[in-house]
Amino acid sequence: MTPGELSRSIDTLASTAAEGSMLAGDVADDRTKATFARVHARDMSDVVVHEAEKLNDAQADQANVAAAKTKAIDLADKIDTALGQIQVAPDDAPGARKAATQLDQLSKQAGDLSAGL
Amino acid sequence: MKGVLQIALGVIAAIGGFVDIGDLVFNSQAGASVGTAALWAIPVGVLGIIVFAEMSGRIVAASKKPNFVLVKERYGPRLSAFTLVASLVLTVLTLGAELGGLGFIINYFFDVSVSFFVLVALIVIAAAIYFLPFGGIERIFGYMGLALLVFIASSINLDPNWGEVGRGFVPESHSAAVYWYFVVGLIAAALMPYEIYFYSSGAVEEGWGPKDIGVNRWNAIVGFGLGGLISVAILLTAAQLFKPAGISPTSIGSVALLTQQPYAELGLILALIGMLFAVGGATIDTAFSAAYNLAQHQGWKWGKRFRLLNEPRFTLSLAGFLLAGFAIAQTGVDPVELTEYAVIFSIPVLPLTYLPILLVGNDKSVMGAHVNGPLARVLGWFYFGLICLLALAAPILFVWTNGGS
Repeated sequence: MTPGELSRSIDTLASTAAEGSMLAGDVADDRTKATFARVHARDMSDVVVHEAEKLNDAQADQANVAAAKTKAIDLADKIDTALGQIQVAPDDAPGARKAATQLDQLSKQAGDLSAGL
Repeated sequence: MKGVLQIALGVIAAIGGFVDIGDLVFNSQAGASVGTAALWAIPVGVLGIIVFAEMSGRIVAASKKPNFVLVKERYGPRLSAFTLVASLVLTVLTLGAELGGLGFIINYFFDVSVSFFVLVALIVIAAAIYFLPFGGIERIFGYMGLALLVFIASSINLDPNWGEVGRGFVPESHSAAVYWYFVVGLIAAALMPYEIYFYSSGAVEEGWGPKDIGVNRWNAIVGFGLGGLISVAILLTAAQLFKPAGISPTSIGSVALLTQQPYAELGLILALIGMLFAVGGATIDTAFSAAYNLAQHQGWKWGKRFRLLNEPRFTLSLAGFLLAGFAIAQTGVDPVELTEYAVIFSIPVLPLTYLPILLVGNDKSVMGAHVNGPLARVLGWFYFGLICLLALAAPILFVWTNGGS
């Protein structure tokens, strides 16, 4: 896996986390439809899990790429967990508020990780 | 009054056919990726579809010949067969993407399963094709597709920087390949070949003659123009909401989020309803286009204006294409990715689709008094040149930018 390929993968994680944060914010403010929030959170979760699987299967020869890959898989796991909160309880406003903050932070962490490659 | 009503119906029909899944996805991705910088590509594409739709409608009014009859007459047997096969492959791919998109959109309302709702969509679309008259299909899907106007309201509600928006309509030199990928994709999304196949065959279905040439012109200008305005609004809203947040939309649900931000649940529901009917209308258009092309190429009797059961070959091919699209959608392929492939790989087919229209439109022996004037001639050749350029650039940019990512 090249740094460019890893960077693209991490950018997908950052994007999905940012979108999840936007959706979670709307859930927290009761500005969305519960069914939509649940299904869309599940779709985003699928994207994150797919990226994590790709990262896990990819061979990273360079030390810095291998280290970033491990961090990216960890980030993907955390993003998936936060999205799971919206998926499981799309009417839980306090839980969604917490998920929105977490996802925002995870998006920034992913962005920093990608920029460092 | 009757003319105004006809134009109004044409405008409504255009929304149900022009704003398809390709426009929804590509416009939001472009706005999220390159902001307002690529806005100018939308009017360029929309003017192109207006030029060729008007020309193909006028050809039908003057000669009663739809697009694939022209292809067969102007090309030799090999080239016309190649054009047919290429157009069918791309139209069925698009049909698969539209049906898959419908499955996703309905699932956002009920959360059962996408593949179940793809089946539901297939049944509803087949029933609409069989039971509704041609005008009825256009009106139902067009009227409900008007809910997409919520994207225009959203783009204004978010209070964009109008100076920046204005600059987006001026082409600029850019070194980034991703920028050019989206420029090419936005133009191509407006010029999808099935739109012309459907428009010209629809003109035959509605029995257009020389008296309808004025209505045809206004239908093309206002109808596709309004569709283009919705495309601009989607791109603009994505540029305001997604780009600053670093979001790259990956699903139809991402597009719906664009109206949820300014208008909460009402905006979401309007966007989902608008997308449902616009994509549903486009699904019907693509299914008909594939069947029209095959029937016209083979010289079969065709058309919704006759009873479908009296035209077994046309009806069977229509059903076969719907089932092929359904099979593609049921493989679980991501409709967004499928759309991207369909949009980009439709571009090499564009010159073969548009050249016969231009040649016949310029032919006084066929068109008589309705032959292309100087403006239609100049615009027609300009757009044909542009389409040839896009046909060369699109596959290269797709590989170079890894599909715009």
